[in-house]
Amino acid sequence: MYTDAIYVNNLRKTYDNIKYAVDDISFNVKRGEIYGLLGKNGAGKSTTIKILSTLVKKTSGNVEVLGMNINDSLSIRKRIGVVQQDLSFDLTTVEKNFKIYGLLWGVKKELLKSRMEELIEIFDLDKVRKNNIMDLSGGQKKRVQVAREFLHDMDLLFLDEPTVGMDPIVRRKLLDYIKMRVKNGLTVLFTTHIMEEADYLCDRIGIINSGKMVIEGNSNYLKDNFGGYKTLKLDLNKDIDNLTKNEILSMNVNLRNKNNELLITAKNIDNIIPAIIKIIEKHGYNIVKLNMDQSSLEDVFFEVVN
Amino acid sequence: MKLPDSLRLTIRNFKVNSDPGTIMFMLGLPTLYLLVLGFMYQSLIPAVTFNNVDVSYTDFLMPGIMAMEVMTAGTVGGSMLWSDRRFFMFEQLLVGPFNRLSYLFGLIMVSLIFSIIGNTIMLVIFYLFVGKLIFTTMGLIYSILTLFIGTIIFTSIYLIISIKTKKMQTYNTITIVLFFVVDFTSSAFYPITDRTPYSLRVISYINPLTYITDITRSTLVFSSLNNVLSEFLILTIATVIVFGVALKLYNGVKPGI
Repeated sequence: MYTDAIYVNNLRKTYDNIKYAVDDISFNVKRGEIYGLLGKNGAGKSTTIKILSTLVKKTSGNVEVLGMNINDSLSIRKRIGVVQQDLSFDLTTVEKNFKIYGLLWGVKKELLKSRMEELIEIFDLDKVRKNNIMDLSGGQKKRVQVAREFLHDMDLLFLDEPTVGMDPIVRRKLLDYIKMRVKNGLTVLFTTHIMEEADYLCDRIGIINSGKMVIEGNSNYLKDNFGGYKTLKLDLNKDIDNLTKNEILSMNVNLRNKNNELLITAKNIDNIIPAIIKIIEKHGYNIVKLNMDQSSLEDVFFEVVN
Repeated sequence: MKLPDSLRLTIRNFKVNSDPGTIMFMLGLPTLYLLVLGFMYQSLIPAVTFNNVDVSYTDFLMPGIMAMEVMTAGTVGGSMLWSDRRFFMFEQLLVGPFNRLSYLFGLIMVSLIFSIIGNTIMLVIFYLFVGKLIFTTMGLIYSILTLFIGTIIFTSIYLIISIKTKKMQTYNTITIVLFFVVDFTSSAFYPITDRTPYSLRVISYINPLTYITDITRSTLVFSSLNNVLSEFLILTIATVIVFGVALKLYNGVKPGI
């Protein structure tokens, strides 16, 4: 039995033998894990998903999906689900799209009916179920595309920017639904440009840039180690004098203050907090309140990608 | 029990194409041709000579309309591939539990289904209005095979157009122009004789619809197998070549347009 739902080692892909869309990427996704792949447009996320879903052939490297070699494409495709970035649908009604998709996957009639009703409710599609897909908004079309994929059984799901155009309520419903499905054994590879989504959903995150994997780890690890600048906010018992300010500034930090409030911004500020407190106390001040702004995943993204 | 891949794709293609617009185009147009041309022109053209036999214009036209039905059915496969590429279902199906050949088989099968339904309806209408059908067992076999091969050649032609065109307008323009050129340079509406201008005769004899019409006409209406074998062989060879080209191009198709 395989332990990694996805195993990628030194994967490379070039379309023109000049530039590499994916350049020596290695990572793995454990069974039952939600793995987020983040990166700018053109970073190589979609190409990676296309290779893993067997749509595009790799140039070199080793890839295994659900314990199978990537060349065993049909066997892999029978056990995966893919929501592509591009909207895809049949030119018919919402309901018929569901029924046809279920038929394509060989879902039994009764099961298809119950799953369809469940998904129509979760994805708030009841009012438009009889409408032709062409009459829906972009967000509604996306909902149909994403919901449709949950009609069939699968072990691994690829979601390439699935929430584009969705309103926050449906988006949250989708993310929670994914979490629920993962609890029941599904593995998910997820790409998005919305960092809060990745933070909320993913067990582990990989950031790729120009086809290369730059960093990888869980959200807290990334924030702690690659979060860049953090700000320490201190409320003192009285206004700070210049001597104390200069001593703090000598630690290569940025310092702003208004009356008795101090804002100290620095990279890896966690390491110098004890020294800062020592200086403040040495000059006879008391700390009334101490706060630190946690860096966000977006900070990590900017720090790493730029 | 799960249906085979290609059958599931065929049912899907049929369901997607079972909209009123497609049905009208597939069945309404040939029926209109048969009723309007066949019965109205009867008073203008009392008899047509084919294979040295005089027949009514309706009898003469009927196999032409059946052949036309084959060509119309062929457009379904091409349009389906176009639409699937345009709306990313081609890509979606290729990451599903299918392979490329199953998908192609599904396209051909749906064209065949429309061809069979269309031709059956034409035969029924013909029988209802004219009250006769004359064919031998051998003639019937030839007719069925011809309609089958005819559907494949036209599906292949429309697949090639679908693969080679990048814009919806271009695809529509080419298919509409082709539809009329193939229709009216074939022997579907009139016999190709020595009195037909030479250039038109040449065009007519490189037109697969002429062979489909002539074989169907000989076997279904005249119960004659004269020249049928040679015409059938020419049609078969042409189908193999055109299908080969379509298959080669299809294998190189990348998702999206």
